[in-house]
Amino acid sequence: MLARALSGTVFGLDGVRVEVEANIADGLPGFHIVGLGDRSLQEARERVKIAINNSGFEFPGRRVTINLAPAQLPKEGSGFDLAMAAAIVSACQERSLPVDAAWLGELAFDGTLRAIRGTLAIVAHLDRLGVRRFYVPVANVAEARIATAATVLGVNHLRQLKAHWETGAALDVLSALPPAANPPVHVDMADIHGQPYAKRALEVAAAGAHHLLLVGPPGTGKTLLARALPGILPPLSRREAVEVTSIASCVGMLPAGAGLLEVAPFRAPHHGISPAALVGGGGATPRPGEATRAHRGVLFMDEITEFRRDALEALRQPLEEGRLAVARSRGHAVLPARFILVAASNPCPCGFAGDPRRLCECTPQERQRYRARLSGPIRDRIDLQVPVPRQAAGELLRTTALAESSATVRERVIAARERQRDRRPQGPWNGALTGPQLRRDAALDAAGQALLEAAAERLQLSGRAVHRVLRVARTIADLEERTDIEQAQVAEALQYRESG
Amino acid sequence: MNPHPDPPPQAGEGKSVWLTDPDYPALLREIHDPPARLYVNGQLPSEPMIAIVGSRHATPYGRRAAHRLARDLSDSGVVVVSGLARGVDAAAHRGALEGKSPTVAVMATGLDRMYPPEHAELAQAIAASGAVITEAENGTLPLPGRFPVRNRIISGLSLGVVVVEAAQRSGALITARMAAEQGREVFCVPGSIENPLAIGGHQLIKDGAKLVQTVEDVLDEFADLSRARARAHARVRAHTRARTRADSGPQEPELFAVWELLDWVEPRHHDDLAAAMNLDVKEVSRRLTLLEMSGYIIGDCGAVTRASRA
Repeated sequence: MLARALSGTVFGLDGVRVEVEANIADGLPGFHIVGLGDRSLQEARERVKIAINNSGFEFPGRRVTINLAPAQLPKEGSGFDLAMAAAIVSACQERSLPVDAAWLGELAFDGTLRAIRGTLAIVAHLDRLGVRRFYVPVANVAEARIATAATVLGVNHLRQLKAHWETGAALDVLSALPPAANPPVHVDMADIHGQPYAKRALEVAAAGAHHLLLVGPPGTGKTLLARALPGILPPLSRREAVEVTSIASCVGMLPAGAGLLEVAPFRAPHHGISPAALVGGGGATPRPGEATRAHRGVLFMDEITEFRRDALEALRQPLEEGRLAVARSRGHAVLPARFILVAASNPCPCGFAGDPRRLCECTPQERQRYRARLSGPIRDRIDLQVPVPRQAAGELLRTTALAESSATVRERVIAARERQRDRRPQGPWNGALTGPQLRRDAALDAAGQALLEAAAERLQLSGRAVHRVLRVARTIADLEERTDIEQAQVAEALQYRESG
Repeated sequence: MNPHPDPPPQAGEGKSVWLTDPDYPALLREIHDPPARLYVNGQLPSEPMIAIVGSRHATPYGRRAAHRLARDLSDSGVVVVSGLARGVDAAAHRGALEGKSPTVAVMATGLDRMYPPEHAELAQAIAASGAVITEAENGTLPLPGRFPVRNRIISGLSLGVVVVEAAQRSGALITARMAAEQGREVFCVPGSIENPLAIGGHQLIKDGAKLVQTVEDVLDEFADLSRARARAHARVRAHTRARTRADSGPQEPELFAVWELLDWVEPRHHDDLAAAMNLDVKEVSRRLTLLEMSGYIIGDCGAVTRASRA
């Protein structure tokens, strides 16, 4: 007796169709799974057997073999439990399951269905292949409905399927969990006291998707500033939101019952992180890292000079291409990783360079060596460098005019992004413009041109440094709703350059 | 006859000049313990020499002062002598290389042991027009004891020694003491009373060292250098005019308003200036760039001070 149930898994971040075949034959009673399953899949034997027995079915006392096809694809996780149960029960009853239905979910011993990772990606892929009915855990229903217009049936317990399978009776369409609220916006700009210069730089970074380096002694609010950035980024487009939600689902970060995530992600890995955990890697199959989790959002690297050198080097590809090609023994995957990098560091080893009240005791060599820990290729990608000084206690207590809220700043950011979109419908944003693109997009007026040339000469700016200034000036001009870049924007942009 | 035949010259190793050779520096021969033999990479200049020494951990102010003084001395036809160390020494050599005269670096190690190693290129540039010299054999390592011994050569070569930023009990003070013992002039560039690196130098001034503001203050002490002094005079006058102009700030009212709030020593930050002027930070940024481009201010890690332009 043979039955097939359609299911799926993720490889990297892509959905893959997996056919689960169950064969029940005479012979010594046993339960085997073939088809490159990992340890968690071998353990599925116990889960599936016990769940079937606890849900009013009887697990066959014969030789049960499950095949997961395609056989050469490595498979892991617990998402095939429901498909296996469906295939085994159908094989026992000598019935076949509909070919346009797919089954996803992990089984608990009592037959309850548990949420799985990657539902969105799997459903989206199977939808393209023509699957018209999806049986998924209740907690994954909202997510599945993002990816398909076909019928999504939330299953709470294996027992609910009994009548459906045994008599062919229609399954009640079960309701999904109440939609989980999106996580709240991180930090509002209005809550940050003072620091107008750093806030302005954040606005420019958001408007042009520029990478940013905050330089200042510990405890001056660099983390708070970084956390305010997602709140002033433009809302995610539907396509971006689907990407972000799908990534969150694949790595198990999507709250149960959650639908589309609409807030840009914010990731702040610790500086001890390995290269594989930062940019992706893993065992036989590619696993997304923090860079991918921060896709369409903000990757905050506090104390960036303390990160492992190999981890920083691994950041080059995502910074340059906005994605990562990860090759593992069982194949390779492309992981999207287009984020705004917010790096933070001390100005020098002792932390007091530029502090009006403390003398920096580092030698120029020590400072230079400290800065060299951030390698050239990464520095080249950081358009904005902003000192974040320690504020005097009096400054903190001074009641100043009410600071702008994130919502107000965000409106300007959105307008600036629209101007960029008009200029380059296919992207990129200003922060990723290349030299030739800048020649077209960043036209300077005569005074601006003169200032930039004088600055390049006086400050001995490299070609790359000039490009950084141009990219930032372009964004400032977009914020000011100007077509050409004028001297004022070049002058402001020059302040955000890397300082000696 | 040389008691030891010279080994064949190798890369990074120069010729020997013996105490008895005619081209041995005359002033150095006068001190009570002149080195018997100098290893010379390059060509020892015959012009009068002045030493500039100071802290390895010099502040930007100290490095600027050393650089400017060395350049002006070099332009006046004086050879600047220093120790190739980090900080003031390197600034002095670099400043002198910008001027018209050669410069001399006195090392504590053997010619084949570059110390500090990152100054290899600088040493090459020095040897191209002037000389890198040492009394130490090839292979001599940078041991602490070598440096005071080397310092007597720096002062011994020179008519006078200018100290720029020296902490108490520092090598630069040893050099100054040796200069005094050798009957050479001692000069000192003053610093801020809040700067610990200025304490040693200020003590020298209290003890009678001459305070130096410009190259003229150094050249004035030497009758032999009257020609150099005359050359320096025109240059210094021009600088002083530029200084006076810079010191009274920029002409443009909007730039002057920012400049006025700045200090020569104490840095201020963008946020602070914006609050003081009740201006948008982007406008403050714009004005700061314009001031920086015309040399009125210096920015370092967001800390802005006035710049002296001479």
